[in-house]
Amino acid sequence: MENEETGDITGDIYVERSVDLDTDPETVWEHLTDGDLVGVWLGSDVTIEPRRGGAILVTGDGTGDIFGVVEEFIPGRRIQWSWRKSDGLPALVEIEIEPNDDGTRLTVRETLLPWQVTEMPAQRHVRGTPLQPFSSRPHTQALDSNAA
Amino acid sequence: MATHEVFAALADPTRLEVLSRLARGGPATATDLAAGLPITRQAVAKHLAALDAVALVERRRSGREVVYSFRPGPLDAVVEWVDSVGKSWDDRLERLRRQVEQAE
Repeated sequence: MENEETGDITGDIYVERSVDLDTDPETVWEHLTDGDLVGVWLGSDVTIEPRRGGAILVTGDGTGDIFGVVEEFIPGRRIQWSWRKSDGLPALVEIEIEPNDDGTRLTVRETLLPWQVTEMPAQRHVRGTPLQPFSSRPHTQALDSNAA
Repeated sequence: MATHEVFAALADPTRLEVLSRLARGGPATATDLAAGLPITRQAVAKHLAALDAVALVERRRSGREVVYSFRPGPLDAVVEWVDSVGKSWDDRLERLRRQVEQAE
C-alpha cells in the first residue's frame, strides 16, 4: 500500500490504493476476473460475467447480497464495476493493472456515486429486466435514466 | 441521519456551492447568498431547505429574516465512508497479494 488519497469534498469522494505484486500481469488478471479466484480475496462467493454489462453477484460475506454491473472490461488491463453494498451507498470500483519492473502494479479506486437512486440496474436484472450499463462516470442523468 | 441522505444533499454542485459559501463566509440569509450566485433567491432557499433536512445548516430567525449557518457534523459520514472503504481494500489487496504470489 503505497498510495492513499481521499477525494476533496468539492469533487468525487473516493479511496485509492496501489500495490506492487511480484507476479506477472496475466496471472493477476486471472485473479481479478475469475469469480472463484476473486471470491478468495474478496472474502465472499463471487460470480462475475467478464464483459461490459455483465453482472456481479457477491454473496455469503455475512453482510447481505451485493449486486453489481461490469461497467468496463478491457482484457489484461482494466475492469470497472458499480455496486451497492450493505451500507446502501452506490459506488464505482475501478481496477487497473500494468506491468512494472518484474511484476505488476495494481491500482484500485472506489468512488462514491452519491446520487439518490431508488434501484440499481443489477437489481432490476434480478427482477427479470435486461441489464443496461450506465456511464462509468457519475453523471446524475445517467443514473436517473436507469433509476426511472 | 442516514449517510446516503447526507451524500445526496452534497451531490448537487450548486447546493455544494451554497454550503461552501456558508462555511467560508459565515452565517447568511438566502438573499445574501443569492446576491453572489447566478440563481434566484427562491432557488437558494430550496437548496438551504435540502441542507437543513440533513442538518448541514442551522436556521436562526432574526427579525423578518432567517439566517443560516454551516454545521459540519454530518460530514463525519464522509470521513467514515472513506475510512471503512479504505480498510476494506487494504485487507482485500493483502489477501490478493498472498494469493497471486502463491499461485506462481
